[in-house]
Amino acid sequence: MTNLLRKTLQNNWIYLAILVALIVLPHAIGWFTGDGPFGMQVGRRFMVIGQSVTWQGRLSQIFIFAILAMSYNIIFGFTGVISFGHALFFGIGGYMLGVMLQFSDLGVNEAMIFGVVGGLILSGIASFAMGLVSLRLRGVYFAVFTLAVAEAVYIYFTRYRPTGAEDGFTFSDMPTFIEPTRNPLNFYYISLILCVLVFLFIRRLMYSPTGAIMLAIRENEERAKSIGYDTLRYKLFAITVAGMIASLAGMLHVMLNSKRVGPEILGVNFTVEPLLMTIIGGVGTFLGPVIGAAGLRVSESTLRELVITIGDNRINVGDSWEIILGFLFIIVVMVFPQGVVGTWMRWRATRQAKRLNAAISSQKATASGD
Amino acid sequence: MNTMTEERKVTLVIVAGITLALLVFSFVTTGDAGDFAITIMSGLFQGMLLFLVASGLSIVFGLMDILNFAQGAFFMIGAYIGYEIHHATGLIDIIPDPNIRFVLSLIGATMIGAIMGWILERVLLRPLYVRPLFQLVLTFGVALVMLEIVKSIWGVRPRNWTDTFSILESSFTVFGQPFTLYRPFVVVVGIALIISIALLLNRTRIGIIIRAGVEDAEMVEALGINVRAVFTLVFTLGSAVAALGGGVAAPFLGASLEMGNAFLLAAIAVVVLGGLGSYEGTAIASILVGLSVAVVAKFATQYINQPVWASITPMLVLIIILLIRPSGLFGKER
Repeated sequence: MTNLLRKTLQNNWIYLAILVALIVLPHAIGWFTGDGPFGMQVGRRFMVIGQSVTWQGRLSQIFIFAILAMSYNIIFGFTGVISFGHALFFGIGGYMLGVMLQFSDLGVNEAMIFGVVGGLILSGIASFAMGLVSLRLRGVYFAVFTLAVAEAVYIYFTRYRPTGAEDGFTFSDMPTFIEPTRNPLNFYYISLILCVLVFLFIRRLMYSPTGAIMLAIRENEERAKSIGYDTLRYKLFAITVAGMIASLAGMLHVMLNSKRVGPEILGVNFTVEPLLMTIIGGVGTFLGPVIGAAGLRVSESTLRELVITIGDNRINVGDSWEIILGFLFIIVVMVFPQGVVGTWMRWRATRQAKRLNAAISSQKATASGD
Repeated sequence: MNTMTEERKVTLVIVAGITLALLVFSFVTTGDAGDFAITIMSGLFQGMLLFLVASGLSIVFGLMDILNFAQGAFFMIGAYIGYEIHHATGLIDIIPDPNIRFVLSLIGATMIGAIMGWILERVLLRPLYVRPLFQLVLTFGVALVMLEIVKSIWGVRPRNWTDTFSILESSFTVFGQPFTLYRPFVVVVGIALIISIALLLNRTRIGIIIRAGVEDAEMVEALGINVRAVFTLVFTLGSAVAALGGGVAAPFLGASLEMGNAFLLAAIAVVVLGGLGSYEGTAIASILVGLSVAVVAKFATQYINQPVWASITPMLVLIIILLIRPSGLFGKER
């Protein structure tokens, strides 16, 4: 038993260390800056501010995008199906929550519960239906079909009056204890917990027999089919699960994003971002999407605020941060062919192989010396 | 072989049927010959613009399996270059004749597009041919960079075409409705381009190599042909045609930052609709989508007052056709 525990710790110490660091971080920042982890209340609108709060916001955003990217990785990285319509499920989650909180007659807490559950169910149905009609399409045809569906819904919502068309709407009320402006720390922990749960769920899933079949489909669908697996069913399962998790990310996103629900959450950006995050971090790795999400978000937020002073000239990098981001893509694509995590794992594998080789050859040398 | 032609016949019948249905629907609902003519003309016009973006996308995808996300950016840059050549004060002094400047703007847009496409292929895409997925990310990054460069040069304000020239000015009347000559002009340019690319693909040696490369690039390379050079040529050509499309569109649509992505999505839809790797499929699908957008736009504004349906139309057409034909109109089962 202790052996097992030790082994688990040995294999996962890096994850645990990151987790502990993330749990402690808000308190540490709050303590160092003197603002406190809960921030200070300003004005009568119950807003809280402070260094720690700012960082909690940023990190929560990273967690949300990590959830989105991980959900995308289920279909893209582990099942090998490229979908361009992932934003649809993200948006469904956000819209469902927003509509429930803003337009229903229920109390805040009930509306919240109905919104979350309803969003999960609706996006599950939507992704199941989308998979049902389109998963028989191959490769790019599937990708573009999903893009078309998502884009059609997006365009429709940019003109749909009841939800504010292009401007979207802002829901005014939500349960106070997780409201990011009033209780940022609670929201931070909730998004962290959800992120960790999704991570664990995906890891558990991929080590299960179902996960093994999903990997088999990725490697060679024809072969998986000829062995006798109903590949369509597994792909359908993958896209449904991914869609539901994406809707969860969508709900968190609208809560954090000043409670605003606009059609842009259905837009192609929220498909492309997780796609890029997954590719940059490492396709088909557990930690890849998380690292990709963190890297992309951090570089975006730092580049946006960066001001370089050379002599008397102040260069505001923030004005052209998107150019730098574009170049960053290009560089990462050229330098990290398997994504950050993939490249790191390969590097570690070659190092271990080298060590092993050296050990073997030295053993051989001593053996022949005798 | 016989079944192939049989399938083609069915497809052609489907296309003819849809086109006819669109025309009849439009004729009945507009109820006015002039309005009907305008609707059809604007449909053909949009179809041609779509084709200019989609043709490069189609051939590049067929040959190299790259979905080039930067194609929309080439279109946008073509529009800005065309606008700039036509409106730059320095040039107006040197060449006062707006018609010559218009021709120059088209040539300039095409040239710039060609140069940028060449650089993109040679410098960035070539090292990545073994990793097709990453090419997609790369072209996306390039599109982002190009958009930002355009933004920093021309700003976020869209440009409206103010200076006019004879084709844009002059008009004719059909069934009592005045028409600008520019739309038929674009349609003629588009058709000429469709025919010349078709001739290039079907009647020249390089065209044979390209078509063979679409079938099996490795095999062509095994025959001792430098496929990489053909890749470069095709990519350059595709970018140039997209930029030309931008230059042609600019007098009518102006130049804006959004136009690239708007056309890119529709162009991807068109390429898939026509069937991947099929040039004629792309051409026919462009016209089909252009027509249906125009017809739906007319109907939606006239009767149900919801113009949003026009923007959704390309996607809806794609969804319906893919459900009937999983490989697009002229695509092969892969």
